[in-house]
Amino acid sequence: MTTRVPAAIQAIFETSKDELARRIETLDETVAALLDGKLDESLRAEAERDAHKLAGSLGMFGLPRGSELARELEQALAVPDGPELSEAPRLAELVLALRSQLDDAPAGSEDNGDAVPPVSDGRALLLVSPDPALTERLTVEALKRHLRPRGAESSATARGLVAAEPPDAAVLDLNCPGQDHEGLELLADLAGNEPPVPVIVLTGSEALVDRVEVARRGGSGFIQRSSPESQVVAAVSETMERRDRAEVKLLAVDDDPAISEALAALLAPVGLKVTTLNDPRRFWERLEAINPDLLVLDLDMPDLNGIDLCRSVRADVRFGQLPVLFLTAREDTASVQRIFEAGADDYVRKPIVGPELVTRIQNRLERVQLLRELADRDGLTGVATRRKSTAGLEDLIALADRFGQPLSIALIDLDHFKELNDQLGHAAGDAALRRIGAMLTTAFRGEDVIGRWGGEEFVVGTYGMVGADGIRRVTEVLESFRAEQFTGRDGRSARVSFSAGVAEFPRDGRDLTDLYRAADEALYRAKAEGRNRVLPAGSPRSASRPPDAPPR
Amino acid sequence: MSHKHILLVDDDDDIREVAGISLEAVGGWQVSRAASGVEGIAKALAERPDAILLDVMMPDIDGPTTFERLQEDPQTRDIPVILLTAKAQTADRRRFEKLRVAGILTKPFDPMTLSDEVAAILGTQARLE
Repeated sequence: MTTRVPAAIQAIFETSKDELARRIETLDETVAALLDGKLDESLRAEAERDAHKLAGSLGMFGLPRGSELARELEQALAVPDGPELSEAPRLAELVLALRSQLDDAPAGSEDNGDAVPPVSDGRALLLVSPDPALTERLTVEALKRHLRPRGAESSATARGLVAAEPPDAAVLDLNCPGQDHEGLELLADLAGNEPPVPVIVLTGSEALVDRVEVARRGGSGFIQRSSPESQVVAAVSETMERRDRAEVKLLAVDDDPAISEALAALLAPVGLKVTTLNDPRRFWERLEAINPDLLVLDLDMPDLNGIDLCRSVRADVRFGQLPVLFLTAREDTASVQRIFEAGADDYVRKPIVGPELVTRIQNRLERVQLLRELADRDGLTGVATRRKSTAGLEDLIALADRFGQPLSIALIDLDHFKELNDQLGHAAGDAALRRIGAMLTTAFRGEDVIGRWGGEEFVVGTYGMVGADGIRRVTEVLESFRAEQFTGRDGRSARVSFSAGVAEFPRDGRDLTDLYRAADEALYRAKAEGRNRVLPAGSPRSASRPPDAPPR
Repeated sequence: MSHKHILLVDDDDDIREVAGISLEAVGGWQVSRAASGVEGIAKALAERPDAILLDVMMPDIDGPTTFERLQEDPQTRDIPVILLTAKAQTADRRRFEKLRVAGILTKPFDPMTLSDEVAAILGTQARLE
């Protein structure tokens, strides 16, 4: 009779989880209110009650640490006028830890727990500013978003913090005269870290910060120093989420937690984000949430076996191309046959031999990435295809709109391309296209969108950059490009230039159609004025030629 | 002794459920449940349980007040009462000990051992399973 008790308690826990989460939510709101200086007595009392209830109940659900954390919160909240503001960071960390207790709690009585990856909760955020007041305001905002802020007044302090714990993102205030060199070096180091740390740079209205230089050093984005702190931190979260989407994700389903842990330990060093699932009943929910790049299945599991899971995955069009790798203790022909019949791509024998598993997983991923590259990359120039770059530009516009940031879109078209092909041959024409593709790729950042839109037409979208800066960078590319010689079959050679039109969001348009039209109009004017130049959208004919535009 | 009857008074649904299952399944008690001090007093009068497990912190009338009311009524005066209290309230603990309660149990409790602890306090080591 008694053996059923844990299962019954687990069932109660499952039904109570939402209520427990709601109580943690109240505690979270209370800390946010404290940070805002808006904590009133009724909320404080409610939070104290909720902390008390959590303290009393989490332990009986097998979460004694949860009870301790809740108890600490209860004690901190049980003061007449509420806790001091200085207590807020500690309370925020307690709430965070409490939340992860609940999130990490075993899902079923026979389940040893899933390694649920945190969303952006608990991520370390480095704040570098010589202005302590600004750092403090950003700290408050970061705590509200469940990040772990670490403030530094100087580059030296920042380096110390980075050495102790590489942050998941950084906000860098470059707005201090005389220190921008140090700041830029710190930026380059963060961007060159392995894995790279996304850095949002704060800029002032005065042109102290050279946006082009920041972009060159690997800055992930800009935001006005005067923007509300909530917007700055939202931009950071957004950047981290974008980076997450770019990560290679692997979902491993195995009822043996030891195997799941071993997988995570083996694969994390090679840059794979491993999510393990020990309860196959939650498979679909997790598969859809994680949308992995590779699936590792155990052949023999209770409730559902790997073969069934694999078949169901293959039956869903969304996951038809998902690479599936099996782990199996069996080696007989029939089992291997069953694995491949179910639609698996490969299998690895248990016990797992580390290097073999890593190699096989990497092989699978390379194949998929190759297929993806073929679909998204222009074969000749290596830049994104029209389809891929259109989607990329749409994303950048949405981002710029959300954070009130500028965005520049340049439309680039090679001059006299038909004549080049006619006179020097198509090989020289292709060489020119390849070269411009390579130059644009080097000149712009990974986050920028570079695409080939037609025969000799290219597009470049740069987030956080106003049109004038966009024109400057495209002009630099033009200067290098037209210095190069392209040689034809008969040994004759020629130089090639291009014309470009640059539009700026939101000044010249708020959606891709309008921005494209504005940039195209400027490109047309550049061609009409004699080619070999970069012109801004919307400016009247022959006026406002950029100061460093190429000579006619 | 056949099935002993215990009344569980706690405003927290989870604790009522978990403690209830624990006392029933592990300890073999017959369990009645009340979600407030007022309901607890009413059920104690109506059902005359063999013991009462009473939460300290409840809205309206709290555990100690409920206990005092039970003491005031000759019909319920002799029912042993175990207070269920949070670990933090050590200062309060002394106050509870001065009351004539049968014992004090702390939250969170382990559902697998709760009934043993209750039995130990009540001096009835007999497991009814």
